[in-house]
Amino acid sequence: MAAGRTLDGPKAALSAAYWVFVLYLLGPLLLMTAMSFKAAEFIAFPIGETTLDWYAKVVQDGQFLSAVGYSILIAAATTLFATVIGTWIALVVSAESLWLRSLVFALACLPAVVPGMIQAISVRIFIATLDVPTGTGAIIFGHTLHAVPFVMIMALTRLRTMPGSLVDAARDLGADPVVAFLRVTLPYLKPALYGGMIFCALLSIDDFVRTFFLGGYRTTLPMLIFARLQGGMSPEINAMATLVLLTTAVVGLYAEQLTRKARTR
Amino acid sequence: MEPIVRFEAVTKAYGKSVAVDALDLDIAPGEFVTLLGPSGCGKSTTLRMLGGFETPNSGRILLAGRDVTRLPPNKRDVNIVFQDYALFPHMTIAKNIAFGLELKGLESAAIHRRVGELLDLVQLGDYAARMPHELSGGQRQRVALIRALAPDPQILLLDEPLSALDAKLRGQMQMELKAIQQRTGKSFLFVTHDQEEALTMSDRIVVMNAGRIEQMGTPEALYGRPASRFVASFIGDTNLLDCSVVSADGPRVALDWQGVAITAARGETSPAPGTRARLAVRPEAIRLFPAEPDTANRVRGRVSRRVFKGNHALLSVEVDGRGQIEALVDPLDLAVPTEGEVWLGWRAENAVVLRD
Repeated sequence: MAAGRTLDGPKAALSAAYWVFVLYLLGPLLLMTAMSFKAAEFIAFPIGETTLDWYAKVVQDGQFLSAVGYSILIAAATTLFATVIGTWIALVVSAESLWLRSLVFALACLPAVVPGMIQAISVRIFIATLDVPTGTGAIIFGHTLHAVPFVMIMALTRLRTMPGSLVDAARDLGADPVVAFLRVTLPYLKPALYGGMIFCALLSIDDFVRTFFLGGYRTTLPMLIFARLQGGMSPEINAMATLVLLTTAVVGLYAEQLTRKARTR
Repeated sequence: MEPIVRFEAVTKAYGKSVAVDALDLDIAPGEFVTLLGPSGCGKSTTLRMLGGFETPNSGRILLAGRDVTRLPPNKRDVNIVFQDYALFPHMTIAKNIAFGLELKGLESAAIHRRVGELLDLVQLGDYAARMPHELSGGQRQRVALIRALAPDPQILLLDEPLSALDAKLRGQMQMELKAIQQRTGKSFLFVTHDQEEALTMSDRIVVMNAGRIEQMGTPEALYGRPASRFVASFIGDTNLLDCSVVSADGPRVALDWQGVAITAARGETSPAPGTRARLAVRPEAIRLFPAEPDTANRVRGRVSRRVFKGNHALLSVEVDGRGQIEALVDPLDLAVPTEGEVWLGWRAENAVVLRD
């Protein structure tokens, strides 16, 4: 009876290591959030009096709101293009013969593994050669390039679980290839595509390096925060970051749940 | 009567391997035809060519007199019941069944009525609003069947549809399939590797081997008069005896099995005296006697093994150094000897000379 609760050395160590890791991950975020409620200007302990003034200031900050709007616009466009292109490549990859499949797959994955800095510079050089100006279009192009492989991999994972007989059955019952795609393949892909779209949006909103190299005069959210930091740390930035953290965490967890549902069904 | 389906010298090869080799086959309206054979014999390729999912390298496929050889699946009046059912997972049962009807351009009232009728046909009227994953295997099987029947095809193709079901359910579904086929009067082309399914349901069985038709005929004809060694051993169990031909005049053939004179039916062969021939005798055609019987064929042996199987028993009889012969006996028949020295006897018409 008593043996059930004896101290298990390795197990305890493992669990301790886990909690240290969780603390290490969450510590900075907790600290940042805590400081956003501090009444005084300086970011240091003790916190002393607390206030919501910084949040009030953030939501009335025209620059912040315009940067958020611009980031969302770019994220929406990126998501749209990346989802269409990524799904299309996934369909090509799943249909092609073996050697072509590996080639297309490898090429399509490349943007996900090339360092952001290198990619940003290469795209910058590329658009300069084509005489395309930097700005919104260039940013969307760069973000889309980065997001496509993630959509493709998610769509492909889902496609691999799809029995080939489903499309056959649709064709057999009178559907031409387009109708079969719209009424059978696309609905089957839907959960993976939702997940992929949210992932695209988050990647785009989070991106700094590509935006920095490809942007024009309007600032996106990460660029605004970067610019503000140059002027010194203030609890207002903490409040800003906390809002972004909260939104992305909720959206990200929702996306994760969606893709998991897709995997189990 | 004009056949509903006609294969004319249809050949399909993948690179160098020939899947279907110059196949000729007619299917009559209302006929239940089964393509039976081991995996890789070309039966599924034949079905997929009729469905429009494979294109023959040569030959023609006619559907109700029209050449459909090169038409895509959606332009042919045939429907398939797939092995894994292939129900659309994101649609309700009713939507699944309505799919083909919508694409035919039926009005929604007519679609609704037809879906209801079909669900009633398989006693699934209460399941219209369910999703496929909420149904059992047998129910999904029925839905796949009526979904394929819904657009009223010229012929229904069934690609090993019962292989995922357990033995008991499979037996039930065989009866149900046959009943539905008879009630709807549709031609069915059924593909299987299971001889029992083929024997139970078919009007006609087409045995395929290596891309060719080995033999076709009614279940009784195939079972009772197999033409080749392949058919004899693929359908049911059989004793194969290596004989030499003594004489072959008329329908009867006189043979010699290691010194024992045997009379047999000629089958589809024309054996020449002096040549070797293989003889097939079903275990249930062989009877056991305590003393020498007066049957056309008889040999003496000693029971070496007895396996009780409930409604019958399988005896292996060692025939003095010539080999084993298996016989099926009724375990309740006390007159049948089951051990020691016995006589085996069988009638001439129950032994068939095989083509090699």
